Amino acid sequence: MLTQQHSYNEASEGLRAERALAAWEIASVTASFLIAAWLVLPFAGNNKLIRAIPITIAFIFMIASHRAHKESAREVGWRVDNLPEALRMLLLPTLCTIVLILLLGWWLGSLRLEWSQLRPRFLWLPAWGLLQQYVMQGFVNRRAQIIWGKGWPGILLVGAIFAVLHLPNLWLTVATFAGGLILAYVYQRVPNLLALALAHGLVSLLLVSTLPTTALHSMRVGFKFFQ
Amino acid sequence: MMSEEDVEPVQAVFNEKGGAGAARRLDDAAHRRLTHLLLGKTLAELIFVSALALAFYFAAFPPSYRGWGEATARGIEGWAVNDRSPWQRVEVYLFVDGRFVARQTADLSRPDVRAAGFAADEWHGYAFSLPALEGGEHEASVYAVHGSGEGARYTLQLLGNPVRFRVEAGGAVTAPDAGARR
Repeated sequence: MLTQQHSYNEASEGLRAERALAAWEIASVTASFLIAAWLVLPFAGNNKLIRAIPITIAFIFMIASHRAHKESAREVGWRVDNLPEALRMLLLPTLCTIVLILLLGWWLGSLRLEWSQLRPRFLWLPAWGLLQQYVMQGFVNRRAQIIWGKGWPGILLVGAIFAVLHLPNLWLTVATFAGGLILAYVYQRVPNLLALALAHGLVSLLLVSTLPTTALHSMRVGFKFFQ
Repeated sequence: MMSEEDVEPVQAVFNEKGGAGAARRLDDAAHRRLTHLLLGKTLAELIFVSALALAFYFAAFPPSYRGWGEATARGIEGWAVNDRSPWQRVEVYLFVDGRFVARQTADLSRPDVRAAGFAADEWHGYAFSLPALEGGEHEASVYAVHGSGEGARYTLQLLGNPVRFRVEAGGAVTAPDAGARR
């Protein structure tokens, strides 16, 4: 009985340590992106090579972390077998978001839904969304699940971190907090990064074509917002 | 050492909460490796940020500007030299009572500056005319402008001490002191 209690305590201690480590992993990766957004530009100017350093460190770390946790790419969400299910789950919230954005754009008189308004760089939005969703869901959400399991604490944390990374752009901060909650909720049920990236890219594209350019400030975040 | 059976109750709770769905439990070696990796990452980023801050400090605030200013009947006059680049013509800004008044390049003849060994040539003088000011005490500050980061940022460095002067009722300028050398 005592041995069992001792073993239980030991295992419980192991779980606590693992949760603490997961929290540290989340904080560390978030810090890397905050460094890239807030410190590199004022200190090193528009040097993309220097800005890539903390981001590269973060990605190398995340890949190493997946290996340590023995997580496969499929588990992280790089898969297509559950794509239809994930898309189905995302359909309603994405449609609601699209309608909301269109209404907002119409109300503000800033709708610019013309092909001529679409710039080539907007084509990168889904790819950019995929990278962001990998970090937020494939990494942060999964580590949050180690701490709290599936549920609202982890979802709220993902939303909050996603929003903080878009400060001080007020519109984007609000939009990413709300979007982060929805995407984190869906990911916890159907982990598929491709579906999330598609929704992310579509909503981003609509945001830049709908909301006033002055409000979105060219989607700039971090110190670049002030340029 | 724990057997798998011993761990089962805790693992069950972990699984129930969804933890296992997200990641398997780390074994001790993996836990250690990840901790070392996190420490290494933190250290690398600390070094990166420190290097950025140091490089920024030396690029943005070079302690190499020297200058001097005084109030004369014509306005605020003086000279400015960049020790790191003594042939360079320094751009200077004049502020009076904390408000920007004018800017110019310090390229007027000042043979005394060269004779004193402060510059490689004599073309480092500046002369600002003062705007219409109310009678009474005022303070003028002259700053050297330093651009860095390929023009992404500009910093101002105060040349000498602020120059205190007095505007009399008729508009004449008098100087209680004559600035300070730096």
